Amino acid sequence: MANFTTDGKLCIERELEISNTEEQFEDLISRFDIVETCQWITNNNFKTVCLQFPDELLSVSAKIYEEIKKKVEVDLYILGDTSYASCCVDSVAAMHVRGNAVVHYGHTCFSKSNIPVFTVLPKKHLDVEETIKTLLQHFNTDDNVKLCLFYDAEFEHCIESISKHWFQSYPKSYISFVEIEEKPNRFLGRVIRNKDGEEFSVEDLTDCICIHIGSRGQTVFNYSVSIAASEWYLLDPDTRTVDRLEETVWFKRRRFLVEKCKDANVVGILVCKLAGAETKDIISRMKQLCKVNGKKSYIVSVGKPNVAKLANFPEIDIYVMIACPENDLYSARDFYKPIVYPYELEVALNANREPYFATHITDYDQLLPGRRNHCEIDHIKETMDVSLITGKIRETKVDTNEGTSTELAEKQNWALESIGQSLQDRTWTGLEQNLGGTEVKKAEEGRKGIPLQYSNEPE
Amino acid sequence: MVNFTVDEIRAMMDKKRNIRNMSVIAHVDHGKSTLTDSLVSKAGIIAGARAGETRFTDTRKDEQDRCITIKSTAISMFFELEEKDLVFITNADQREKSEKGFLINLIDSPGHVDFSSEVTAALRVTDGALVVVDCVSGVCVQTETVLRQAIAERIKPILFMNKMDRALLELQLEAEELYQTFQRIVENVNVIIATYNDDGGPMGEVRVDPSKGSVGFGSGLHGWAFTLKQFSEMYADKFKIDLVKLMNRLWGENFFNAKTKKWAKQKDNENKRSFCMYVLDPIYKVFDAIMNFKKEEIDGLLKKIGVTIKHEDADKDGKALLKVVMRSWLPAGEALLQMIAIHLPSPVVAQKYRMEMLYEGPHDDEAAIGIKSCDPEAPLMMYVSKMVPTSDKGRFYAFGRVFSGKVVTGQKARIMGPNFTPGKKEDLYEKTIQRTILMMGRYVEAIEDVPCGNICGLVGVDQFLVKTGTITTFKNAHNMKVMKFSVSPVVRVAVEPKNPADLPKLVEGLKRLAKSDPMVQCINEESGEHIVAGAGELHLEICLKDLEEDHACIPIKKSDPVVSYRETVAEESDQMCLSKSPNKHNRLFMKAQPMPDGLPEDIDEGRVNPRDDFKTRARYLTDKYEYDVTEARKIWCFGPEGTGPNIMVDCSKGVQYLNEIKDSVVAGFQWAAKEGVMAEENLRGVRFNIYDVTLHTDAIHRGGGQIIPTTRRCLYACLLTAQPRLMEPVYLCEIQCPEVAVGGIYGVLNRRRGHVFEESQVAGTPMFVVKAYLPVNESFGFTADLRSNTGGQAFPQCVFDHWQVLPGDPCEPASKPYVVVQETRKRKGLKEGLPDLNQYLDKL
Repeated sequence: MANFTTDGKLCIERELEISNTEEQFEDLISRFDIVETCQWITNNNFKTVCLQFPDELLSVSAKIYEEIKKKVEVDLYILGDTSYASCCVDSVAAMHVRGNAVVHYGHTCFSKSNIPVFTVLPKKHLDVEETIKTLLQHFNTDDNVKLCLFYDAEFEHCIESISKHWFQSYPKSYISFVEIEEKPNRFLGRVIRNKDGEEFSVEDLTDCICIHIGSRGQTVFNYSVSIAASEWYLLDPDTRTVDRLEETVWFKRRRFLVEKCKDANVVGILVCKLAGAETKDIISRMKQLCKVNGKKSYIVSVGKPNVAKLANFPEIDIYVMIACPENDLYSARDFYKPIVYPYELEVALNANREPYFATHITDYDQLLPGRRNHCEIDHIKETMDVSLITGKIRETKVDTNEGTSTELAEKQNWALESIGQSLQDRTWTGLEQNLGGTEVKKAEEGRKGIPLQYSNEPE
Repeated sequence: MVNFTVDEIRAMMDKKRNIRNMSVIAHVDHGKSTLTDSLVSKAGIIAGARAGETRFTDTRKDEQDRCITIKSTAISMFFELEEKDLVFITNADQREKSEKGFLINLIDSPGHVDFSSEVTAALRVTDGALVVVDCVSGVCVQTETVLRQAIAERIKPILFMNKMDRALLELQLEAEELYQTFQRIVENVNVIIATYNDDGGPMGEVRVDPSKGSVGFGSGLHGWAFTLKQFSEMYADKFKIDLVKLMNRLWGENFFNAKTKKWAKQKDNENKRSFCMYVLDPIYKVFDAIMNFKKEEIDGLLKKIGVTIKHEDADKDGKALLKVVMRSWLPAGEALLQMIAIHLPSPVVAQKYRMEMLYEGPHDDEAAIGIKSCDPEAPLMMYVSKMVPTSDKGRFYAFGRVFSGKVVTGQKARIMGPNFTPGKKEDLYEKTIQRTILMMGRYVEAIEDVPCGNICGLVGVDQFLVKTGTITTFKNAHNMKVMKFSVSPVVRVAVEPKNPADLPKLVEGLKRLAKSDPMVQCINEESGEHIVAGAGELHLEICLKDLEEDHACIPIKKSDPVVSYRETVAEESDQMCLSKSPNKHNRLFMKAQPMPDGLPEDIDEGRVNPRDDFKTRARYLTDKYEYDVTEARKIWCFGPEGTGPNIMVDCSKGVQYLNEIKDSVVAGFQWAAKEGVMAEENLRGVRFNIYDVTLHTDAIHRGGGQIIPTTRRCLYACLLTAQPRLMEPVYLCEIQCPEVAVGGIYGVLNRRRGHVFEESQVAGTPMFVVKAYLPVNESFGFTADLRSNTGGQAFPQCVFDHWQVLPGDPCEPASKPYVVVQETRKRKGLKEGLPDLNQYLDKL
């Protein structure tokens, strides 16, 4: 449960699977790569190191702390209760203790961080032979069909055995290996290689059949929507079933939300990630996009967002959330106003971008200058068209005050105007004295007790 | 050959008393377009010889191919009335002194019920209507519908009995029989008029009367027509009777004894009905002589009726000769144009009584007075009733009528869409009118300016209006009333491009389609599907064809037609529903209940609406629906979209801070009313009552974030505890057929869940009319099915009538509504299964 969710109750009532540490103490060292961790710390000569644990691993945190402490002379801190999502490195928390580096445990999303990180991947048992058998049942070894294998990071520990079997059966296919180091061809923490170790970029997979070994979740979802392959399959090693993944319904909904972005007058930029210089860049990029389109934007930072928090700003028409792509809030339907990916706001408001997309860019890093999917923002012209959502005229009003005319410019802040208009529709404008208009009455007994439940409340 | 120039027309436009704006309306296939051609041929735009064959006003290729009008088309015509006829115009406002010419702006409209939105748009910009009735089939369903609409818009009708040639040649009706047929049609029409118009009303008497000359007879196809005036003129000198008196004598129970030369009011053995004797007999004789090749008689007859055959027609005989003779004897254009000029109102006359129906603002402001007096010097008020595609792809002419002032090329004007409200900026644009143009069938002509009382097109305002709007120069102007259509877009198809990457082109095409048709709806749904919604299968077929060929220009995949459903409740909630806000400190207590029958319709029609004074509205609800008067005064809002047929009523007493959370509750209500709990469809006919509310004493803890989502949850709980139901749209279906086919109709209807509620014989014909309710969802392929089961003898006309509960409980697996709910949820990408009450209902 690394992702952040909408329901606060879930967090409180959630039962964690806590493994019995006594039993596994023996292999603790190998399970959590303690030797390698210590090696890394000494090699880099870090003085203060933070150990970041997700909730379900907090129970072993103390043991790991002790083990490392025994082996290296270093200041260690344990970080728990991560601000946003425990799959991302919480560099802000690390900075609070002036940490030089972070050791990240548990599920990771491989997003970048501005602090040195040692990633300890979780390990899960995989019956490689059985899995390959299942694969062979479903996918024949036809040379004409290109295959590419993806796997959950928790199977990284047995990748050698997997790749050996895989390339034996499918010699002309690819594997997308976990890659922790930053590389030009790295995409969402993976690099694609063939049998001989040659690297390929994700664009080479367009006519491939991709198979993911692991459980259904955000990780495989992100791959399947952002990598254009001919087909996507999920192999669940526990049940040994193969499912086809198809997200056409999801894409339709996203395209609808792109239209919704165009309709919006006021955009909320919801910041749910702090680490990384990219966060600042993407925020200013989103702001700029809104500005050239004559839309008003607000930066909203409410910690972990939920329905109640976001509904406090009814004037905001749509939220664009800057967050780790591995979370399910984007698809949640309970919010008063929808939440979109930065890429979707780009598609809607950046005229230079192709208006139709069949693959998604969930990782906003890619949108920034110098990255794979960057696109210049131009000044746009005033346009009029009809919104198919509301059936009304949709006007893009651009600030035209930049001209050199000496005439008095009529103030044209369209976005502000429209906010003012929605405020006009409100009936509650504050307390009114209404002197003399209210009947004089004897005081009545009011509510008693605490707000959670008053003692004299209706049944 | 055009026999008038733009300058001449422009000069005529100023003579507002000599203008007639009229539409031609009728049941499908009663011959409107063909008849219009005779008028156009008279006014000289196309050659006289080709009248009856060209369908001048059907400008589209598919219209010409299918011989069905799809879009209404306007043409301007010029016609001079002779001195002797001018005396028939008695009202000073019907003619400028010393002007004999009349400018007639005619709009030909489609007859098929699926396109009746085009008729509505045409009626709005005209003052008079030529109602065409096929005298063989009589007054039909659509005749009644459009006539009713015309009367409601205060459009004065005149009647034309078409297809007399068929009555004579095919049916071989006797003169007396034919008279009876005519008489019955006139009566039928007058009954409809009397039902919807009050003689004492502002329009006065609008009945049609052959003896007054407001009823014409003839054949559009053959190009001949007459009114009693024409025949009276032939006889007046001979009889030495006053023309008007004679016209009265030639209709109704007037009989003439040829021997005694005496008139009588009763039929006896000696005398003969005057209409048959003086009007029908000569026509019968001509028909008989020519069709039976009685060469000798022909020459004599021709001399009598004063027709000389031109050289080139000399060797014609049979039908061809008949056409030539009848056309030169009783030219259709002449008779019809006289009828139009004499009996239809000029804008000056019509706008006086139409203003209050047209204008939303106060009836004494500058705009209202300008409209009322049809004053070209008053501020501009123009209503744009539809958009006409130009040759430039994606651009449209805004077509409409100037009611007050002048619309000038280059003029700066306020363009107000239907959502404009005075004092606000929404849907308001101040732009320059690039060009004003005159629209004539297939051609357009640029014109400098157009004064009030005329119909014209505008260039450069199309992008500021979706379909219709008001154009004005008056700063405080209100909107002109939006048109009310008699049909609704209840049939839907989902469209997607064959090649997914063409989606942006499809979206562009949908936007254009939305503009080009007054009624079609193009919707991008929450699920991301693109929906085109129309009045019926034919309407959709045409729209999709346009979309594919003209607007999007890409191959398109279409789903099977479906209908949209509404969610409602059958009973009051069986418990008080409580929902707590996320911080648990605010609690809402509410219940849902169904509205009484008729109230949702009242809201749809605007008889009960959010803008009413709350006291009058409460009175109405109390009187008609027995609502508690104090509760009825506290209707917080309508929804969805602030106007829909669901209400939220405050039934609480003495709750502190309640008015402070009203906006948040309303927002939550709009949300829930738009996306119901079962399948996220709109709600219909649900009343929510707020009984109590507990609020945290600190304002910060009862903000929108706490209240909006909670209201939605609470409303969902209310719905789930009040026996949720689905509603489906139902057509009113009228089927005309001979008696033998009636049995087949019942069979087809039963299979399609339809039920017949009326069956009657059309008086004087062997035809039967069966009226039935048919769920729209069952109507797909109905026409074809009906034809194959009745040997092609039954013709249905379906028009949306009402919403009806789909029998069955959607919470009951295996029921039909359950299946519909699951299908809808799947299509929308929602979690399948049933919503869980515990998710919405809280316990104290």
